[in-house]
Amino acid sequence: MTYLRRLPKFDFVSPSSVAELCALINGASNGDVMLFAGGTDAILQLRRREATPRCVVGLKGVPELDFIEERHDGSLAIGAMTTLRSLVSSSAVRRDHVVLAETAAQIGGPELRNAATVGGNIAGALPCADLPPPLMTFGAEVKLASSKGVREVALEDFFAGYEQTAARKDEVLTEIVVPRPAPASASVYLKYHDRQSMDMTVVGVAAFVELDPDRNAFRDLKIAYANGAPTVFRAKRTEAVLRGEAFAEEGLEAVAEEAVAEAEPRTNSWRADPAFRLVLIKNLTKRAIRFAWEKAQARGKAQS
Amino acid sequence: MNEAITKIASVDILLRVNGVQNDVSIKPWRTLLEVLRETLALIGTKRSCGEGQCGACTVLVDGKPINSCLYLAVEAHDREILTIEGPVDGDPALEQIQQSFVEKGAIQCGFCTPGMVIATKSLLGETPKPSEDEIREALVGHLCRCTGYVQIVEAVQDAAGQLGSKGGD
Repeated sequence: MTYLRRLPKFDFVSPSSVAELCALINGASNGDVMLFAGGTDAILQLRRREATPRCVVGLKGVPELDFIEERHDGSLAIGAMTTLRSLVSSSAVRRDHVVLAETAAQIGGPELRNAATVGGNIAGALPCADLPPPLMTFGAEVKLASSKGVREVALEDFFAGYEQTAARKDEVLTEIVVPRPAPASASVYLKYHDRQSMDMTVVGVAAFVELDPDRNAFRDLKIAYANGAPTVFRAKRTEAVLRGEAFAEEGLEAVAEEAVAEAEPRTNSWRADPAFRLVLIKNLTKRAIRFAWEKAQARGKAQS
Repeated sequence: MNEAITKIASVDILLRVNGVQNDVSIKPWRTLLEVLRETLALIGTKRSCGEGQCGACTVLVDGKPINSCLYLAVEAHDREILTIEGPVDGDPALEQIQQSFVEKGAIQCGFCTPGMVIATKSLLGETPKPSEDEIREALVGHLCRCTGYVQIVEAVQDAAGQLGSKGGD
């Protein structure tokens, strides 16, 4: 009867700036403080007593964390408190990073997307999170702020384990920087889940393809998985199978085999057993690469 | 630790619900849904799954639908909240949507209806003439175990038509 339970007791603070926020969490010890973004995952963790922090730090009152900006170098900067709804409806996102809007549009329903945030989807470090795989294949970096300063970490190095990140206890994820992709490229994110909305992803695959139009080959290929392992991860061995190669059906089969070998699905999850996840990984990998390839070709033609 | 916790003070917040200003003193761990139902006695908003799966607790916060079971009441301070009880000075759209739900048989047990109606209010505010796909997408976060959804889609279409023919509002 989890759903009838009250939340555990906690103190609540609501800083209004990043500087105030960093000062608040400076020196906090493990489990003492919970950073509370949209709350759509956090409230469940509180209700289930998976988290019982002494103090919850609400982030909705920090306006400087809610922005989407195109930078001079063509990269896209997304504030951590940007809601999924804002991501879906942003024209800046649709210009060169449309897969991020498509991915966010597949998460939950409108009610959830009005609260859930980009930063929460990443910093929660759940293996089923949908935004990290496509962000990783763009080579995105996250900015971590503390009272000691700001540092940048590549998203592919950010997840240390199930619900574990490279962020220290006194750091907060403030921003995601997504480089502009090459012109003759395209990204796809495909996921399998039981229902159209409101459930967790069983397996998700992001594929980024850059064409070498002269050779009809993959100039670049990046692949990342949700729920292919205890964390979202980039599958570098799998990518290497096709990078530089020409497009061919046998190549897709080979890359799918390598993906199955590289993935390490969790064995303790009730949602799906590892064997089923591997079947999904095999099939979705092929499909995602094929779609991204076709999309990149269409984009190349439109530009030439 | 427990001693410290029992000392957590209540927080004074302003809840602006349906055009009424409510000064309430609440503990920080209470959800917006709990405070609406238990403190303000606005029991039209329903509690069901407690996880954001069913949409029965949907209310508008600053005009946007959210799951009030996944929202801390303290974070709703000074925001504009609309529940199924509706504004004190009336809301023609909200009334028409409910009338359409009644006439099209979109209500059986009625438990999902407040959430469905509030989500429809938000949809028609942004998209006065939604397609069936847009209606289903707007209501994708809502479960109804009675109607099979067909009548609900018809009710939303009917409400859109009725409001459109009245020149909108």
